[in-house]
Amino acid sequence: MVIYLKAGSELRERLKPDIDYYTRRIKTEEGKTIREILADIGINPALVAFVYTSGKVKGLQYIPSDGQNITLQPPVAGG
Amino acid sequence: MGLSDSEKIRYFRQLNVRGWNQEKLKSAKVIIVGVGGLGSVSSLYLTAAGIGKLRLCDGDRVQHTDLNRQILYSEESVGRLKVEEARKRLASLNPNVEIEAIPEFMDSQNADEMTKGCDLIVDGLDNIESRFILNKQSVKMKKPYIYGAVQGWEGFVGLFHPPNSACLACFLPQDTQKPDEIPVPGILPGMIGIFQATEVLKFIMGVEETLLKRLLVYDSQNLTFDIVEIEKNPNCPYCAVS
Repeated sequence: MVIYLKAGSELRERLKPDIDYYTRRIKTEEGKTIREILADIGINPALVAFVYTSGKVKGLQYIPSDGQNITLQPPVAGG
Repeated sequence: MGLSDSEKIRYFRQLNVRGWNQEKLKSAKVIIVGVGGLGSVSSLYLTAAGIGKLRLCDGDRVQHTDLNRQILYSEESVGRLKVEEARKRLASLNPNVEIEAIPEFMDSQNADEMTKGCDLIVDGLDNIESRFILNKQSVKMKKPYIYGAVQGWEGFVGLFHPPNSACLACFLPQDTQKPDEIPVPGILPGMIGIFQATEVLKFIMGVEETLLKRLLVYDSQNLTFDIVEIEKNPNCPYCAVS
């Protein structure tokens, strides 16, 4: 199946977008979690605090569906 | 409570904003934990708006490296306690606001005492560990917690009010990797601090559309604002247990 990962400014370089400025098309297997998919593409899951899709926040244990758009969010801790 | 003649003049430009209730603001007591980049901005705007009482907590002293973003302070402030400099600056802006300055960091030992009597908890912190202390306090006291965080070009704002909503720990893992020195340009706490102050004011005055149960994700480099829902985690180590 195919999913589309999107990352904002802090993670974009690591994601290596290939669709547009933010988005990378990923071919993966059904049933894999976001954590596993990130490890597969060489992104340390510790660099991603959570993800969101269809307007809802999800954790890294989330299992995406075919065609889904997922935004990766790095930890943000400053103030 | 009523407004004095001088207050009616001072707040004239906001009194007719739809939903505005200056007397509710005057009765409110807010704690801002951390008076750095975020706390500088939220405290300025809450003071200008006429919040009744503001409690500021921060054990830090001003450093030169703070001055790119901590706009309450000046060159003269370097070396001095942040809460004292903040108190002086805010009092000069609006003497109607009662400002309490506590030169201590919040920890699990003093959190109860520090947040006692406050209606809302506002995040001005610079690390995840302390945010979880605030979150725990919010869950324990059932007080709204106005979360804010910045890093690089991105910022988050959230309003958590368990048990009516998720809490911070419902979605943010406690063991996320963090850099030693978090890069923060002043413009980011500028934006996020104002969003936090806006949520405080709306919540106090009962303006319906708030960030409750949602997170605002701001990417200033790409100029995007995403507002996403945060669902309660039934296995949350904080709010599910309580």
